[in-house]
Amino acid sequence: MGSPCQVLSRAGPSTARQQLEAVATEAWRIEAKFSRYLAGNVVDRINSAGGETVEVDEETARLLDFSATLHALSGGLFDITSGALREAWRFDGSDRVPRESEVRRILHRVGWHKVCWDRPRLTMAPGMQLDFGGVAKEYAVDRAAALVATLDDAPCLVNFGGDLAAVGAGESEPWLVGIESLHPGAATPFRRIRLARGGLATSGDARRFLLKDGVRLGHILDPRTGWPVAGAPGSVTVAADTCTAAGMLSTLAMLEGAGAERFLEREGVRSWCIRPGAPRAPRRGDNLLDSGARAKDFPLKFRLTCVHTRPGRQM
Amino acid sequence: MHGPKAVMILVSVSAAVAGCTSMGVEPWERDVLAREEMRLTTDPVEAGIDDHIYFSKEASSGGRGFGGGGCGCN
Amino acid sequence: MAAIDAPAVTGSSERSNTARTLATAACTLLGTATTLPVVAQEEPDWEFDTSLLYYGESDQRVQDASLNVLARRLFPDDRVLSIGLAVDSLTGATPSGAIPQAGVQTFTRPSGDGSYTVAPGELPLDDTFLDTRYALTAGWQQPLGRLYTGSAGLSFSTEYDYTHVGANLALARDFNKRNTTVSVGLAVARDDLDPVGGAPLSLSSMTDVGDLTNRAGSQSKDVVDLLLGVTQVVNEKFVVQLNYSLSDASGYLNDPYKILSVVDPLTGDGIMRTPSPGAEGPLHEYRFESRPDQRTKHSLFGQGKYHLDGKVLDVSYRFMTDDWGIDSHTLEGKLYWPLGETRYLEPHLRFYTQSEADFYRVSLRDGEPLPGFASADYRLGNFDAVTAGLKYGWRTDSGHDLSLRLEYYRQDGEVPAAQLIGDQDPSALYPGLDAIIFNFSYAFDL
Repeated sequence: MGSPCQVLSRAGPSTARQQLEAVATEAWRIEAKFSRYLAGNVVDRINSAGGETVEVDEETARLLDFSATLHALSGGLFDITSGALREAWRFDGSDRVPRESEVRRILHRVGWHKVCWDRPRLTMAPGMQLDFGGVAKEYAVDRAAALVATLDDAPCLVNFGGDLAAVGAGESEPWLVGIESLHPGAATPFRRIRLARGGLATSGDARRFLLKDGVRLGHILDPRTGWPVAGAPGSVTVAADTCTAAGMLSTLAMLEGAGAERFLEREGVRSWCIRPGAPRAPRRGDNLLDSGARAKDFPLKFRLTCVHTRPGRQM
Repeated sequence: MHGPKAVMILVSVSAAVAGCTSMGVEPWERDVLAREEMRLTTDPVEAGIDDHIYFSKEASSGGRGFGGGGCGCN
Repeated sequence: MAAIDAPAVTGSSERSNTARTLATAACTLLGTATTLPVVAQEEPDWEFDTSLLYYGESDQRVQDASLNVLARRLFPDDRVLSIGLAVDSLTGATPSGAIPQAGVQTFTRPSGDGSYTVAPGELPLDDTFLDTRYALTAGWQQPLGRLYTGSAGLSFSTEYDYTHVGANLALARDFNKRNTTVSVGLAVARDDLDPVGGAPLSLSSMTDVGDLTNRAGSQSKDVVDLLLGVTQVVNEKFVVQLNYSLSDASGYLNDPYKILSVVDPLTGDGIMRTPSPGAEGPLHEYRFESRPDQRTKHSLFGQGKYHLDGKVLDVSYRFMTDDWGIDSHTLEGKLYWPLGETRYLEPHLRFYTQSEADFYRVSLRDGEPLPGFASADYRLGNFDAVTAGLKYGWRTDSGHDLSLRLEYYRQDGEVPAAQLIGDQDPSALYPGLDAIIFNFSYAFDL
């Protein structure tokens, strides 16, 4: 999953340990199953099928159904076959922008509409790649949180690299979560949110971008053109009933580019957009985990923290 | 001013402070420190009230921070 | 920076098609029928801290009732505006500095408009204290760059004979992964005194009623404070703070209402005097006090907070020394003891001791040359004090914090042996103090 994972629990030590183990087991299971870096798992089988039909299990089928729904809902902006574009784009802050021809070549291998998905059978042209990276993390958070909820009703916050789900907490004891500011290395949150229940997810491209001729190109690519979405915000954070829904809404908002705020307002979701440019002035803040996907750290590191934090009134 | 006393205190304190640079916690270890009750001044209004009472009845004042303002009581 | 903050929405009918479809799709993916609505709110903009205080000394001495309100407005990027208001209502009497005598004592009121008498053997108390004080503070705090925090503030207070205006600035910098914070601060203040009847000339004799010849007009004093501090996180459960402060006051530092009795150097009895014909006035000799017009104080303060098994122990020590010859030590401890998730107890103990000022005199000896400075104010004397208290606090379901605090404060002092005459009893000459402190506070967010 590529990010540090954290379980915050208000339960006693033994229950907390149980919660951690449930979360860790589920997270490692999902990662092992859906990571595109592991040989032999269902994603590897699909990506190396070379045009052959692959039959998938129930869970994978549901993920594919979900991806299909999202593809339709977003007018093609959300596309799990867009991973191939990674070969052309390397977002390292330099000005190395790929050539138009290079992108066009890869674009032939991109497009969910080119995939034949006939539950439970999937057929894809050779060279096309499926990548569940855009949905697997939030899905894992929700699955882990649901497992914790069945164990115990002690409040627990599951945090996979900034994608969160809170279960069990009463409304008078919310979790205090910071939305990270865009300033590199800042320890100050941009905003603090009291999350009592539900999911919170952030899409951001503050760290991965290219700068060419004074124009900042974020790493969110429009799969229809192969080029970065113009005018995307630095980061979008959404609060929704589930982490999955929150994650998808924040991704869709990013894909709207300059129209992100309008999209979110129209949808009536609780959200926070930050645009780069304005200097953020940080100070002593709460500990935060980075949001957004990072370089591939593997395997997941888990950290359990037993907390009794009450939302602090600031000094 | 009791020179030797004050100097001795300052020196021992400086030595203690100098050894402080290696102490501390990582950002993710601050869960206890982040609690309300671990702040150095948990209730600024109460601290101000007490400061004011003791400022009016004793010859010393402050220490934690600035006195919030004078009054005609001392 | 542009930030969208849509209103919290929980009803699905208000969501547009995409969000609703997405929510349903997510449920299908997760295999659940429905989900509970999300509960997420931004941190509140306003925080209020209000407090009601009652302070009462025994034996009809000072009583104070006050209301304190502190409002903090939080802005994005950790900027904070704070506004504080306090209203104090003071009644009761305070020792004037004169000592008990065998006979009836009569004193001219500070205003010069009347007199009051004190029975034989009683400690003379001056009740010119009925007053209401209003105080206002305003402060601004914000980050300056990644590791610095700056703050600035103003303070103002007024009562019928005293006005204070002040300003302060502070800068703090974090080091070492924010485990160490160094701060420096500066405060300046200008206080104006307009004593009733005018400020008496230093060491002048108390005159008859209606005689204000020994009075000057209003006075002022300037105070400059410098503060240097270090805060250090020692480990996950332990944080310490060390502060050094320097305070310099100059100007009129007397208490215009305090006096000293003039006594016979052999018997210790007060020197008699007769008022002018037809006038009322004191029957004994008294002189108004005189303090230097400059005072420099040094303080060293250390505090540690240690978390142990849910409880927090807070211990602090302060040493103060000044150029008036006063040294003081303050040792204070508090134990935060949680009872469940929403209530707590906090016992509190404070020990204080101070040595007397160089010019502290219990009384002036007749016939001897007047000292340069002299004051019988018990607050500049040699005494020990103890405070013992208990606080009980709880948090309501809506997240509001309330607490009740009851404390007992006691001062016990002695006149230095060298100042006693004959077989005067040292503790009888020292007023001491017994007081109850009761405090109710209520904090809430908006």
